Amino acid sequence: MKRVSHRLLSSDEEKTLAQRIEKGDNRARDEMITCNLRLALSIANQYRKSGLPMEDISQEANVGLIKAVDRFDWRKGFKFSTYAVWWIRQAIRRYIASQGTHIKFPAGSRHTIWKIDSLRKEYHEEFGVYPEDSEIADILGMSKETIGSIRRGMQWPVNIDAPIKGYDGRTYAEIIPDEDSLAHEDSIDQEILVNLIKTGFGILTKQEEMVLRLRFGIEEDSNDGSKFPVTKNELKNIKQ
Amino acid sequence: MGMPKGHKSENGYATVTGTNGFGYREIAEKMTEGGVKMNHATARNYFLRAMKKIASPLAEHTERDVDGLASDPRFQDAIATLMREKKLCLVK
Repeated sequence: MKRVSHRLLSSDEEKTLAQRIEKGDNRARDEMITCNLRLALSIANQYRKSGLPMEDISQEANVGLIKAVDRFDWRKGFKFSTYAVWWIRQAIRRYIASQGTHIKFPAGSRHTIWKIDSLRKEYHEEFGVYPEDSEIADILGMSKETIGSIRRGMQWPVNIDAPIKGYDGRTYAEIIPDEDSLAHEDSIDQEILVNLIKTGFGILTKQEEMVLRLRFGIEEDSNDGSKFPVTKNELKNIKQ
Repeated sequence: MGMPKGHKSENGYATVTGTNGFGYREIAEKMTEGGVKMNHATARNYFLRAMKKIASPLAEHTERDVDGLASDPRFQDAIATLMREKKLCLVK
């Protein structure tokens, strides 16, 4: 990475620059930014192990730095670096959080996730068990549904084709039941019912069968047209 | 065939025609043209008798009332669907 070497600003210089920025001086703004690039880089460096490209993290740190420059209020009497650190960290954390999972959360929800996580850890340390969603909701002053929904989203995605530990190489896909498919017993029951209905059909007279077909509008069997009074053409006429 | 009290209000009218079916008068005309003389009431009797015959083994198996099952529009609708989709062979 390219070395950044700019002189550090003294408190007085920061104040003067901030005053000029306030009056709309873009040069002063650029100077404030460039003189604090080292700060942004050093903070970005703390997130080196996040698994994301260092160049991207540095860029996000710079975005945070620019925000800090634009919002710095010299009247409060703080050093710029004290103020900027928060904006730079926030920008980097937001970027990492948005890249770290397949499920995208709004920034506000990510903060809630952090609060839920901290609360659960503290609760567990204190009582030895994890709190219920309703308890978390009460403590954080949120609805149980919101907490439940955020916690469901927090779950780490599982690859259903991955082998399950202790299952002899079987995958999740092999053991998750298909709730839409008919159970074995149900399919047998269905077969029995169809056979019973077929038995009933077997004792119909020819006239009854014809009336049934006419009533239900079931068209002629192409294999045996002579037995059925309804033809395709007749059905078409009725439809029209 | 009479329906049990309250049956109609809970389950709808007694017989189902489906989207393409004929009315009893049309059925009677067609059957008469085909050589089996009948009027609309007879056509209805034929239809209900056929439904009872189909429902009978099923009612025995499920210990239900045959008349109630045969006149149930849901049952009639299911039979119509079965006849259409499964192409149950009626020809003996």
